[in-house]
Amino acid sequence: MSKSLVNIESRKKSLHYFFEKVVGPLGFKFTSDEDLMNFLLEQEVILESKHGIPFCPCQPLRNDRARDMQIVCPCIPFHRKHFDEIKRCWCGLFIHKDIIDPDKLPQLPPKEVNNE
Amino acid sequence: MSERFIKAISTDEIAPGGMKAVELDGNEIVICNSGGKYYAIQRRCGHMNAPLDMGTLDGIYLTCPMHCAQFDITNGEALSGPVPSDIGHEIPPPFLGKYLQNIGMLMKHVRTESIRTYTTKLEAGWIQINIK
Repeated sequence: MSKSLVNIESRKKSLHYFFEKVVGPLGFKFTSDEDLMNFLLEQEVILESKHGIPFCPCQPLRNDRARDMQIVCPCIPFHRKHFDEIKRCWCGLFIHKDIIDPDKLPQLPPKEVNNE
Repeated sequence: MSERFIKAISTDEIAPGGMKAVELDGNEIVICNSGGKYYAIQRRCGHMNAPLDMGTLDGIYLTCPMHCAQFDITNGEALSGPVPSDIGHEIPPPFLGKYLQNIGMLMKHVRTESIRTYTTKLEAGWIQINIK
């Protein structure tokens, strides 16, 4: 991957700007847990610096482009049914707009949602 | 350093969210209208010199049309490097494969630098740019 001199805080701010535009119309918002949000965005900036793409920090890369592109943040459209069921995305960066306390959300494996 | 403002274009020439390339005193510059505020940046991408006015402006963020490197137009800061392209699943002919391999090897060493910004001011409906 090409080298770049990226300032993590500036990039986090711009990713927040772009992600908000994508997840809002999908019915999601950023988590209210600011520490978690900052941590996850920082991990995405690090992943983007390494791979050129801000992959989801909680999912493994499989070196299979078709599958890996399904975990590019925000990956909500690719896993919509599961996320709608658990009211958040896997890493918790995004939660449903109607959720106030994300800590109380149940965790369900994809198999239980029967779509993946 | 003393200021040297040059009259560039009329404000009517760029709609909000738009960009326009100009050349002033040998400087290639892009003027951006971000929500009614005008910013001026160097026209050439800090990655591989592509013309940034052909990219996309969203708020204060400009995306290069060539490899999608992104910049903050308020300060010229490079926010991300190039996005890797997908050449598909088909194996390219050997000569093309070798060529792409060489290009990829060279591109690994290309660093995305921040870009230059210029101070702007408005006077009688004209955007003026300090090229010093």
